[in-house]
Amino acid sequence: MNRLFGIGVAATMMMVASGAANAFECKVKEASMDKPGGFPERALTMIVPYGPAGGSGQVAAAMAEGVTGLTGVAINRDHKPGGSGTVGMTAYMASPADGYNVLEHIDDASSAHALDSSKPNPATDLIPLVISQVTFSQIYIRTNETRYNDWESFVAWVKAQGGKATIANVSKEGSMERVTMKFITDATGMEIQQISFDKGAPRYGALLGGQVDALFEQPGDVRKFLDAGNFKPILTIFDERPSVFADVPTHREMGMDFDPLLRFRGFYVHKDAPADRVKWLQWAFQRGYCQDSYQAFNESKFMNVIDSYRDTAGARDLITRSVAQYRDVYKAMGMDVK
Amino acid sequence: MVENFLAGTAALFGDPFTVAIFVFGVIGGMLFGAIPGVSMLTLAAILLPFTADLEPAQGVMLFAVIYCTGTYGGAITAILFNIPGAPENAPTAFDGYPMTRKGQSGKAVGAAVLCSAIGGVASALVMMAATEPLANWAIRNIGPPEIFALVFFGLAVASSVGGRTIWKGWMSVLLGLLIATIGQDPVGGINRYNFGFTDLAAGIAFVPAILGFFAVSEIFIQAEKKATGKFDAPKVGMSFPSAMELWMHKFAVLRSILVGFFCGILPGIGATLAAFMGYGEAVRWSKNKEEFGTGKLEGVISSETANNAATGAAMIPLLALGLPGGALTAMMVAVFQMHDLEPGPLVFYNSPELIWIVFAAMFYANLSILFIGLIETKTILYLLKIPFQFLAPLILLLATIGAYISRGLVLDVMVMFGAGIIGFLLRRTGYSIPGIVLGLILGKIGEQNFAQGMQMVHYDLGTYFSRPICTILIAAGALTLATGVYRAFASPTNKA
Repeated sequence: MNRLFGIGVAATMMMVASGAANAFECKVKEASMDKPGGFPERALTMIVPYGPAGGSGQVAAAMAEGVTGLTGVAINRDHKPGGSGTVGMTAYMASPADGYNVLEHIDDASSAHALDSSKPNPATDLIPLVISQVTFSQIYIRTNETRYNDWESFVAWVKAQGGKATIANVSKEGSMERVTMKFITDATGMEIQQISFDKGAPRYGALLGGQVDALFEQPGDVRKFLDAGNFKPILTIFDERPSVFADVPTHREMGMDFDPLLRFRGFYVHKDAPADRVKWLQWAFQRGYCQDSYQAFNESKFMNVIDSYRDTAGARDLITRSVAQYRDVYKAMGMDVK
Repeated sequence: MVENFLAGTAALFGDPFTVAIFVFGVIGGMLFGAIPGVSMLTLAAILLPFTADLEPAQGVMLFAVIYCTGTYGGAITAILFNIPGAPENAPTAFDGYPMTRKGQSGKAVGAAVLCSAIGGVASALVMMAATEPLANWAIRNIGPPEIFALVFFGLAVASSVGGRTIWKGWMSVLLGLLIATIGQDPVGGINRYNFGFTDLAAGIAFVPAILGFFAVSEIFIQAEKKATGKFDAPKVGMSFPSAMELWMHKFAVLRSILVGFFCGILPGIGATLAAFMGYGEAVRWSKNKEEFGTGKLEGVISSETANNAATGAAMIPLLALGLPGGALTAMMVAVFQMHDLEPGPLVFYNSPELIWIVFAAMFYANLSILFIGLIETKTILYLLKIPFQFLAPLILLLATIGAYISRGLVLDVMVMFGAGIIGFLLRRTGYSIPGIVLGLILGKIGEQNFAQGMQMVHYDLGTYFSRPICTILIAAGALTLATGVYRAFASPTNKA
């Protein structure tokens, strides 16, 4: 496993470095591009494999607004939730590869491919147009918690409970949350019961109401609870302290030597779509990211804390490394990697 | 409170554009709520980008109004054509449609209109009076174990609805529970019964299943009657429920307000569970349980009061804690965010005028249901005069569009027709369609919360009984099941 962590550290450093380079893209004043052969002549369809109200639904809406604002081309969002994104992915792969259909998807597509290679690989079966959100996870407790107040006291308290402490997340087999929690429990020697919630409200309510002892989440999703002073982070799962969470220790500082898995959301087109159309879509979505409306959205979601932008090459790099990392971890966990 | 309410009222009606938005929301919610598969969520999704150009109070108010009237809208088609506009209107069809067959459609629709308004107004009043303390109480005292216990209780009560015998009622609920297990399990995300079809990984969606079990199976049954010369066209009845009839059901209304409010306040649960629980409680407290499902006014009253009572309650965790209770309230979060606001305790301090215009709008939207609904009733009942040979294809077309449009999957159309055929066969043999639908909808909620509850109590089932609310609900459910077993053995007619 140590070898794996070593590879992971290197991979993360490269990912961060790659992201920093790509962030410069928004300064390029390339505001127009001729439509190839008149494409698109009608509205695009964006398949979103999650509901309209969650994080994916919101990023899809924000990107659609950015692209439409830039190009004048309307984008109809078609939500196909279910099966942790597999229903939407299947529907997308069955849709015409003419460039009129684009897909929004999160890192679940990469972990799903890592677990089962018969599922589409977002880096090779699809062409990433842009990854527009990259974020890290944190562990939160209630601000008015009296049993512990930082990571070290939390770990001590959890250990004293003999496995009866609880943490809320969205864990499913092979999920980023479950893999990361395995890293944390292995590294700290603590035992904690993970409670999976598929919707945000019950998950956050469980921490607010004292039904669980901690919460695993990304900062953008709980920003309102942070701003209101209800939740406070006690651990950042990232290699360095982001400036807005300067007083929160990272997992490495707390002695956990593992590579952080990142949550990322992006937009894709089928690999068989005509090349000139793909090129225009890449331009539109990468410029869409730079639109003021999209930047304001990302800022409201804490998505400017670390670099959230990857162009096609950067996205392929991030996905490929993530798939390899997940695959190694799954094998180490004894899971049935196909 | 009164002062704030009057200020909210003045802000609502003091600006013609705000009034126009209010009226649009009232009518739009009713119309979209009545179209199966389309629902108020579709309208909300369409309107979401446009709310960016509105004042924050106008945008949030529009969604709140759509929520109230959309929850009522689906009752009309549930009663007249056995097509619930949304899952929260499904229990309304249990007795509403049989009333239509008996020529009491006017009475059923009238009761739905009146009780939706009463449930909604009562809920809005409690919401105005005690949003913050109620939200804090619910969040601390109601967790997954309590929600599971509530579902268990609901299933135990409702298993006696609609089957020819108690055994067949239970078998129907069990079939519904079995269907609910299709898809990924709520803890590990492991696929179950998807037979290699990816689309089935998402499970059986409620809308196509409900359309199939109710509308399509009904068309098959009526078509069979037509073919065999036994067809009896539904009678168009215009008699509204009398004041005496409504007064006789005052306890049912009060009970459903409490049940609906309780379900609505639970984060992530909302109006669907409220409607089923309201209906189930009506059955449990009735001396004539066997009459439910055959066209009993109390069935319509209970479910429609409860689902609208949940609308105001669902705003409580949203506004006080920032926790949306369902899909539409989750979209309202996006409306807040578009205007750089976050629902939660700070909104009461930072934007009190916004909160009170929304409270006032929900109050008046529920009152509007009463007036617009009564006018609507008198005209829409004439749809029943359309001959069956024209009406049946129209309903099938509407149902097919409704099944497909909700997720855009052909699978859902296949599910709808499959459910229609199964429903047709089961109804002929005395099994309960309400029981199946109950099992399907409550099964998903129940399994999710059971799994979370078990994780929370570290797989020690006994810990459930250390939580008072949980203990009471499980005990009540167990008692209900035991009573059912006793009745099944004691009554010769129930042994078949």
